[in-house]
Amino acid sequence: MSLYSTAVKKPVTTLMVFIGIMVLGVYSLMFIPVDFFPEFDPPVVSVFTFYNGANASDIEENVTKRLENSFSTLSNLKEIKSSSKDNISVIILEFEWGSNLDEATNEIRDALSRSARYLPAEATEPTILKFSSSMIPIMMFSATADENYPALNELLEDKLINPINRIDGVGSVSIMGGPKRAIMVDIDPRKLDAYNLSLEQLAGILAAENLNLPAGNVKMGQVDYALRVQGEFANSNIIEDIIISNVKGKPVYLKDVATVRDDLKELNIDERINGKPGVRVMIQKQTGANTVEVAKLAKEKIKELEKTLPPDVKIEIIFDTSDYITGAISNLSQTLMYAGLFVVLVVLFFLGRWRATFIIILTIPVSLIGAFIFLFLTGDSINVVSLSALSIAIGMVVDDAIVVLENITKNLEKGSYPREAAIYGTNEVGLAVVATTLTVIAVFFPLTMLGGMTGELFKPLGYIVCITIGLSTIAALTLTPMLSSKLLRLKKWDKKSFNGKLAIFNEKVLGKLDDIYVKTLGYALKHRGLVVIISIIIFGSSILLIKVVGSEFMPPSDNGRISAKVELIQGVRLDETKKIAREIENIIGEKYPEIIMVSTSAGAGDEGSIASVFMESGSYIINFMMSLSSIDERERDIFLISELLREDLSKFPEITKYNVDPGGSRGGSMGGSGGANTVEVKIFGYDFDETSILAEQVANFMEEMDATIDIMVDRDKEKPELQIILDREKMSSLGLNTAAVSGAVRNRINGLTATKYREEGEEYDIILRYDEQFRNSTSDIENITIQNPRGKLIKLKEVAEIMQYYSPPSINRENKERVVTISALVEGDLGEVTTSINKNMDKLDIPDGVMYEIGGSAQDMQDSFRDLGLLLVLSIVLVYIVMASQFESFREPFIIMFSLPFAFTGVFLALAITGTTLNVISLIGGVMLVGIVVKNGIVLVDYTNLLRERDITLWKAILDAGRSRLRPVLMTTLTTLLAMFPLAISQGEGAEIWRPMGISIIGGLLFSTMVTLILIPVIYSFFGTARMKRAIKSVLVTSNNNNN
Amino acid sequence: MKAVFIVYNQALTEKVSEILNGLLIRGYTMWTDVKGRGTKTGEPHMGSHTWPALNNSILSITEDEKVPLILKKLDELNKSAEEQGLNAFVWNIESTL
Repeated sequence: MSLYSTAVKKPVTTLMVFIGIMVLGVYSLMFIPVDFFPEFDPPVVSVFTFYNGANASDIEENVTKRLENSFSTLSNLKEIKSSSKDNISVIILEFEWGSNLDEATNEIRDALSRSARYLPAEATEPTILKFSSSMIPIMMFSATADENYPALNELLEDKLINPINRIDGVGSVSIMGGPKRAIMVDIDPRKLDAYNLSLEQLAGILAAENLNLPAGNVKMGQVDYALRVQGEFANSNIIEDIIISNVKGKPVYLKDVATVRDDLKELNIDERINGKPGVRVMIQKQTGANTVEVAKLAKEKIKELEKTLPPDVKIEIIFDTSDYITGAISNLSQTLMYAGLFVVLVVLFFLGRWRATFIIILTIPVSLIGAFIFLFLTGDSINVVSLSALSIAIGMVVDDAIVVLENITKNLEKGSYPREAAIYGTNEVGLAVVATTLTVIAVFFPLTMLGGMTGELFKPLGYIVCITIGLSTIAALTLTPMLSSKLLRLKKWDKKSFNGKLAIFNEKVLGKLDDIYVKTLGYALKHRGLVVIISIIIFGSSILLIKVVGSEFMPPSDNGRISAKVELIQGVRLDETKKIAREIENIIGEKYPEIIMVSTSAGAGDEGSIASVFMESGSYIINFMMSLSSIDERERDIFLISELLREDLSKFPEITKYNVDPGGSRGGSMGGSGGANTVEVKIFGYDFDETSILAEQVANFMEEMDATIDIMVDRDKEKPELQIILDREKMSSLGLNTAAVSGAVRNRINGLTATKYREEGEEYDIILRYDEQFRNSTSDIENITIQNPRGKLIKLKEVAEIMQYYSPPSINRENKERVVTISALVEGDLGEVTTSINKNMDKLDIPDGVMYEIGGSAQDMQDSFRDLGLLLVLSIVLVYIVMASQFESFREPFIIMFSLPFAFTGVFLALAITGTTLNVISLIGGVMLVGIVVKNGIVLVDYTNLLRERDITLWKAILDAGRSRLRPVLMTTLTTLLAMFPLAISQGEGAEIWRPMGISIIGGLLFSTMVTLILIPVIYSFFGTARMKRAIKSVLVTSNNNNN
Repeated sequence: MKAVFIVYNQALTEKVSEILNGLLIRGYTMWTDVKGRGTKTGEPHMGSHTWPALNNSILSITEDEKVPLILKKLDELNKSAEEQGLNAFVWNIESTL
């Protein structure tokens, strides 16, 4: 017994099966996390090695190069990038997408253990850091305070961080830029010298005094007492009263040579939030946790805990990725709802029956909800990809049901019982329905095999569309006939009722449409040559449109964030930098009310920390992070505001370099989450001067190009540094060595942590250092006193000279070659920018041994376009295979394929009209069209074949098939088209990404359907005539033979 | 006794059974999924892609007086849905077991 007759004969089972699917789907839905993108980790592993005291070129030579060599044998390695800076070497290993990072990390460890002995002894053991998408903070908030600022860190730690950390799904919470309490001992070197003491001795004394020690047990009578020396500083006030020496019987107190401050550690960084001093707190989630849920809980917790904080502590959210996610998701959900609504209206218009409409619409929830089960089983999330997959599918899932129901109705009209009509009606079209589904799957399934980042993004889309379409076909073959047999009745329209009037009106309109179409088709058949010529002209001229349509990698999207970096003249003090930072903040506050939060950080944090690797910092650099109000509440987008901001920044004479990055994704190793397209020119070469000059030239011509803005060269100008040149002979005669001298200088300038002061379970550093006034000029440094082993005090200038030098702050390498990268944001056509850069590069005189390469989004675009081109070919071949086996012929699929070129004509036309670019997303839309547009051809040609086999003459068959198939074709096309419509016009968060797909599918489908309806019958008639001639000829030949 | 051979579009199965039941005709032999086409008009029922419909056929041996009733009912049914296709043939039974 066939599937559909079983379904019709066992209505309860059928209903239960589908209710079961729905229940499972809804159950799954409750457990599926909501996220922005499907979870995929960029295959990147970084290796950090700290080597204190080495400058960039030492690091490059002694650490980076050696490690790079040992890494070159790693399997699946795509690229090695490295950056050697003062004190630190960072190697970034990029693997092929889809490679197993755990294995890779193990291999890296092996490689490290092999090369460990070649590394300098002072270098720390290399640290491996795996970058995963869950490391991207899901939320960042700021805490500002006035009088409580000094204690802010402790306050937050106790009252906020720890409770938030306990929330389920929170990975880690970290504070950035907070003030740290420390006991500062500012020493007057002259007084110290007078008592013949050194800073190191002081440190030793303090450490020796700050001590608690168990001293054993004492038995007295019956009791056993523990003996303890309690010497730790009970409070910070007593530190200054520590006796450090005795001169002529008189005690010398610490306060005699130094001032002791219980204060904040001196920070080289100035953090402000909306101009107020504060700290930033970053929340990361655990892998696999639901971003939206975690952020919601965290926000609730913060609100609740805020009340327990002192009133001057203000908490503000800097960014919350869940806002963008919920925005994008609710936007897409709305799109989905509108799509559903449009589908209902189309079906209702064409069928004019509520019950029939209901039956068809029911396949939507059934097949869409089925997709949730898949998401649940694979551990995937509801994200923009899966939701847009659903909105692509929603217009197509009704197609099968429409075809089946239409045929059942036809059977009903012929007078059979609903039950029989349902069974036999389904039987008649069952095969065609399965075949059209297969063509769609032939297109979407290859998407799951796509490689690279695009692959990671579109895999879920491919699976979801295949699953929903598959489910919809099953529903169309079981649920639809079952419900039809129960609900459908043949009835005459009551001319007075509203429904009747509507149906009769629709029927009139549709009848007229049929007539017009058949008349046009008749005309076209009579002028076949003309039709073909016009079609060729249309397609040919659409090829020219490619020039008009620009290309880019990903459509830029407005994620409500802007980041900016401002550089002043190198070496400017933090105080000066802070002034400029305040001025810029004021401008932002006055001119851009859209920016609701500015977080400024000027200066550099702790040197040699991992954070300093990711963000370039220095006393002369200001980093801004701005978050904007929601898209609906503002007129200007991030791109416009960035542009205006650039203008403002260019008016400051103090600023030497600035860049404003809409979306804030630049510089990060991951794009894709918004922001603009970038282009990079990488110059490889060993010689610094040659490559720097070339980089300068490239930057200059890029500056002149219209489409590139915000040019950045990643090799900084050499930075000034004071070098202490030691005289070894003098040193040895005085009993000193390099280690002793450099250590002494470091202790006096940078400070020496002598011991820790403990209070309420917290530890604070006690830092000894020269008072600021004794360490701010070259002569101060020259006058530093060092005690030699014989106890003699020696001035630094006796053994050393101080010279000013310039040294490169960082050396970047890629695939083991030194590289300078010039990057720019692209406004306009990425493809064109690449060509014009290439043209300009040809004009430059490139020295021997120097090479260049174009990268950034431009490279990604080329890679992805190539992948998608292959995918397109694969899809076309697969679709042909499906059609050829369905028709059991090579000819029919070939005829149907004529609708493909016009799909692309439509795509180009739609892109050109809407001013959208050709990008990965619109191209994927184009690939999808292959499966969608042939459906119409299949329906039309299949029916014409049928009529031909029923011995109807060629022209009549073509015209009859046209009349009979026009409505199903229009109906399925309109549902797909209108379902895409909300996607194509949507405006909210994240909509920019999917708009091009909607636009290209609508354009392609609309245009190719119009062409299909005329051109395909015409081409069919050519083949038909040829076949007839052959048949007649063979009849003649055989009859001639017989006659002979 | 007469033999009534009814060939009809599968889609009419239910209605034909109703007629036979209504006339209290118990005995019959039924072949399902049979192919055929009418002598003059109507679509062939071949179960193929071109002509997807199929017939069922019933052979019932019944009392003579019931035959006109059967034919009358079947004719009514056929007239109500001419396109479906239904035909009946009657001949004499010479002997039975």
